[in-house]
Amino acid sequence: MVKPDRTPQVIWLAGLLVLVVLPAVLPNDYVVTVLILCMLHAVLASSWNFLMGFAGIFSFGHQAFYGLGAYVSALLAMRAGLDPWLGLVVGGLAAAALGAFIAVPTLRLRAAPYIAIATLGFAEIARITASNLVGLTRGELGLVGIPPLTDVGPLRFGAGSRIGSYYAMLGILALTVVTLGWLVRSRVGLALLAIRESQDAADSLGVAVTRYKVLAFAVSSFFAGAVGAFYAHTFLVLTPSTVLSIAIMIELIAMTLVGGAGTLLGPVVGAFALTLSLEQLRVLGDWRLLIYGAALVALILFMPEGVMRRLLPGRRHL
Amino acid sequence: MPWFIVVEQILNGLVLGAIYAIMASGLSLIWGSLKMLNFAHGEFYMLGGYGLYLLLLYTGLPLGVAVPICVAAVYLAGWLVERAFVQPLLDKPGWDVSPLIATLGISIVLQNLALRLLGERIQSLPYFVEGTLALGSVRIAWHRVLILLVSGLVIAAFVSILKTTRLGMALRATAQDRDAATLQGINVRGVYAMTFGLSAALAALAGTMLAPIFSVSPWMGAALLGKAFVVCVLGGLGSLEGAILGGVILGTVESLAVVLWSSEWKDVVSFIVLIGVLWVRPAGLFGTREW
Repeated sequence: MVKPDRTPQVIWLAGLLVLVVLPAVLPNDYVVTVLILCMLHAVLASSWNFLMGFAGIFSFGHQAFYGLGAYVSALLAMRAGLDPWLGLVVGGLAAAALGAFIAVPTLRLRAAPYIAIATLGFAEIARITASNLVGLTRGELGLVGIPPLTDVGPLRFGAGSRIGSYYAMLGILALTVVTLGWLVRSRVGLALLAIRESQDAADSLGVAVTRYKVLAFAVSSFFAGAVGAFYAHTFLVLTPSTVLSIAIMIELIAMTLVGGAGTLLGPVVGAFALTLSLEQLRVLGDWRLLIYGAALVALILFMPEGVMRRLLPGRRHL
Repeated sequence: MPWFIVVEQILNGLVLGAIYAIMASGLSLIWGSLKMLNFAHGEFYMLGGYGLYLLLLYTGLPLGVAVPICVAAVYLAGWLVERAFVQPLLDKPGWDVSPLIATLGISIVLQNLALRLLGERIQSLPYFVEGTLALGSVRIAWHRVLILLVSGLVIAAFVSILKTTRLGMALRATAQDRDAATLQGINVRGVYAMTFGLSAALAALAGTMLAPIFSVSPWMGAALLGKAFVVCVLGGLGSLEGAILGGVILGTVESLAVVLWSSEWKDVVSFIVLIGVLWVRPAGLFGTREW
């Protein structure tokens, strides 16, 4: 019997352990905030990768789900007094509904650029609507006065206490990775892989292509919406250009592809690597984006298959 | 609303559409042969605009000399980018996404290089020709008329090069079937680099002509790139006719949306048109089914 390969599990557990103890070793608000952003990007990149890497649907409008989750949860908490924790779920569900809605007209599109531009179209409509409906969202002035997450036991949230948000975010990340990992290894994952490799072959073998594609959109958007709501209740200010801009999408693509699309570890590693290096490059001042761009080019030239596949070659499940 | 304002807006829309068509045909050309999206296309447009600005500022060359110099220089830049950054990725795993990241990185580098070297001040250029053309109550700036004429000529020249010359045949053969083209003795890698150069040169020409209207800044390419992608998809990727018709449609729809509704919502209107077209024709207006 072949001994099952445990390397990915070891990496996951080691990473989790480091993230759990890190705030105790480095009790520094800046470090903690940067790590929150790393984990937030990791969830976003993982959820986009579920759609792109596993189902082969090249969406370019993931920011729409992120932003919608953020605005829905923030507005419901401000106007209707919805508990922010519940808002995470409601924001996620709202995004999932939008995802399923967007999936329908994009289902007939085959080539990546068509899907990319159609989904981008929806996302841009969302962004322009959010910045024009000034009465509801205050547009680019920014939605302020969003209530923070309510305290749970010893965990404190809101201004000046980042530790609570840190552990909540870590929980969301773990939940996302476990759920997506389970889905990928289940029948759903097999069906999505089949659709990615050849939609016609999958169709002819009885895979319900439409249903699985809509499902993939809904699942992927749910996590983006939930983490968007988390952003709203953690950083407490929303503007269309911070949560609905194409720049987010471009960062997600870079993170996922640098780490390795179609793997579970890749987007998480890519999100940490790129978010941390952009922070580290701050010492370079105005030159940092230039170096970042050059590093992207170099990375893709020397590791076109992504960092994780290069570091752990020949493994099927990463 | 007076009718002539609507007519003026349609004319302005056509001018914008002509530029969109030039940008989109460059993107479509690359998609047709290499099956990749070039995210640095907007930066070639920016290089055209900045090139003209700097040439006029420091050398005082006449426009008839300065514009061709810019276009030729950017042709070379496009050729170099393909040789140095796209060709090494060809035939390697991950080709479906790797050139996207590479060109994205190049776009970030060029934007920030422009920002560092030339500053974030938005620079403006004078119109190539002063004055306005008046046809009854309809008035249109001569510069815009010039854009329409030049764009029409360039697109016509481009189409005839593709359809009649040996170079054009090599380009089309490579786009249709790379292996068959190689067997016919076509230097496919050379054709790819040339395709990139031509595409960049078209973007640079658009950049020089639009610089007086939209002004020059490090970010001038980013906004137009999005539009060019929309036009490509609307018309059908890889189709030149599609890029031209798509450009004209998008330009006109945008301009009409401004007069008939509001400028804040104009992009919503164009995206709705795009989604509607894709709903009816999933491969765009002139696209083939395989893509």
